[in-house]
Amino acid sequence: MSAIELQDIRVTYHTKKTGDRIALDQFSLCAGNEMLALLGPNGSGKSTLLNVIAQTITPGSGKLIAPISRKSLSVVFQTPALDQLLTVRENLMVAGALHDLTKAQTQSRIISITTELGLEDRLNDQIRHLSGGLARRADLARALIPHPSVLLLDEPTTGLDIDARRVFWETLDRTRSRLQMTVLIATHITDEAEHADRVIMMRDGQSVKDDTPSNLKATLGDRIVRITLENESDTEQIAKWLGSNQIEHIISDRLVIGHHANASLASSCPVDSASITIAPPTLADVYTYYAHTPISSPGTGALS
Amino acid sequence: MIGSRATRALTKRELIRQTRQPSRIIASIATPLLIWLFIVGGFSNSIGDVAQSDATIGAYTIPGMASLTVMFASIFASISLIQDRQDGVLRAALVSPAPRWSIALSKIGAGSILALLQALIVLLTLPFLGVTITPIAILGAIGGLACISIALIGLGLALAWMVDSTQGFHGVMNAILMPMWLTSGAVFPVENAAGWLKVIALINPLTWTHTAMRSSLGMDTGFNPTLAWIISIAFAIFGIAIATFAISRPTKTKA
Repeated sequence: MSAIELQDIRVTYHTKKTGDRIALDQFSLCAGNEMLALLGPNGSGKSTLLNVIAQTITPGSGKLIAPISRKSLSVVFQTPALDQLLTVRENLMVAGALHDLTKAQTQSRIISITTELGLEDRLNDQIRHLSGGLARRADLARALIPHPSVLLLDEPTTGLDIDARRVFWETLDRTRSRLQMTVLIATHITDEAEHADRVIMMRDGQSVKDDTPSNLKATLGDRIVRITLENESDTEQIAKWLGSNQIEHIISDRLVIGHHANASLASSCPVDSASITIAPPTLADVYTYYAHTPISSPGTGALS
Repeated sequence: MIGSRATRALTKRELIRQTRQPSRIIASIATPLLIWLFIVGGFSNSIGDVAQSDATIGAYTIPGMASLTVMFASIFASISLIQDRQDGVLRAALVSPAPRWSIALSKIGAGSILALLQALIVLLTLPFLGVTITPIAILGAIGGLACISIALIGLGLALAWMVDSTQGFHGVMNAILMPMWLTSGAVFPVENAAGWLKVIALINPLTWTHTAMRSSLGMDTGFNPTLAWIISIAFAIFGIAIATFAISRPTKTKA
């Protein structure tokens, strides 16, 4: 049985200002023991999907088949869900009680998990006295206390510097392989999605593309051509030029991405002011190509 | 039972939090004591004798000041729900298997313990004002105050669940609670009030909790103490019910 399975989930929010907005549109997902990344800009439906799986919102239609209860899952949010005035140990004791663990069970897990996460010396520190990176690790420890079989992470490294981000990912990788968890990460950072076994690209509450990071990049060939135009009026000329070179492409505002490009293409570009790059594709290129919008721009359909 | 373990842990968390913010506790006690000093020092001559009671105005208003202390503490307890939501702490509880009523009960439990400890300090001024209090009288008064704190925290939590900001919450709570307290006979005997105010006081549940407390402390109020206790307990049960109902409601989306 899959650890996460959803069928045709539809979530619509209603606000007085904007009326009905579809956050998830007939979304289906099946995941086993793997690490999945939901990649998309703000408003693409990632957080809503996590809320549906965590059973904090009830979808308007569709079926959540697994997980069937909240006992087997934990969530790491964009900001640590820890009480700033409590110590790391006190926060973790609360986390254990929320999952109906006895004091003895929680205490033994606190020792093993904080040792693994390098927090054993900070157990008696209040959260407000920890750095951002340490607070994140403490929050990860909170989520691991119940030994979940499904771990949901919503933009877990927002606000962290590069070093803290690296340590977070190393810790997560290590823990995941030990606990054999299904991990689902919502992120708009393509580098983070590279860590995943599988990436689901989302836009406006729908899955745009779903595959391994390497397979996704392979769909655009060895090299892509990435053109940034100064004037939108040049797009027509660029489109003609790429067409004459048999390069399939998409245009998103002033950004043009074409795939299976050859290295000598740049020299014949007809627009002098264009910034042109020919390089192996990244997940950001793949996202822009299939979602027809850059990953950095907000989506249009969902409320996060 | 998963709910009881979660309730105990969340209650303990609330108590630890409060002990690490002593300024809040001081503010909850200091404001009612200052108001009491102004009333007794400035208005005792104009208020005159307290009808149906042998108590001085200073002693008569102490239960009202204790309930004001409880009211401030209850507002702080309810606001903590909004802060928990803003800080993200609440999310961890909501996605856990712990039932949502454990969140409501822990807030009510911890908030009431703290409110009653603060109110007890106010009540302990009574012997200095010429009122002889026995342990049973204090227990009775604490029971009345418990009804107030449970009811007001419950109401506050239900409201806090619906509003996003502490500013909005303060506005609504002040608009509801201050008039409730002022018309409850906290600082004046209800039977001496104008007719229209007397009607409002009689339909105000706080009037009855004050009556229950005063009767426990041996102050005659002119109302039936048994009826006062029944209404007070019903008010507390209503507080628990409305908070549990509000917090337990699932977030549904449109089809």
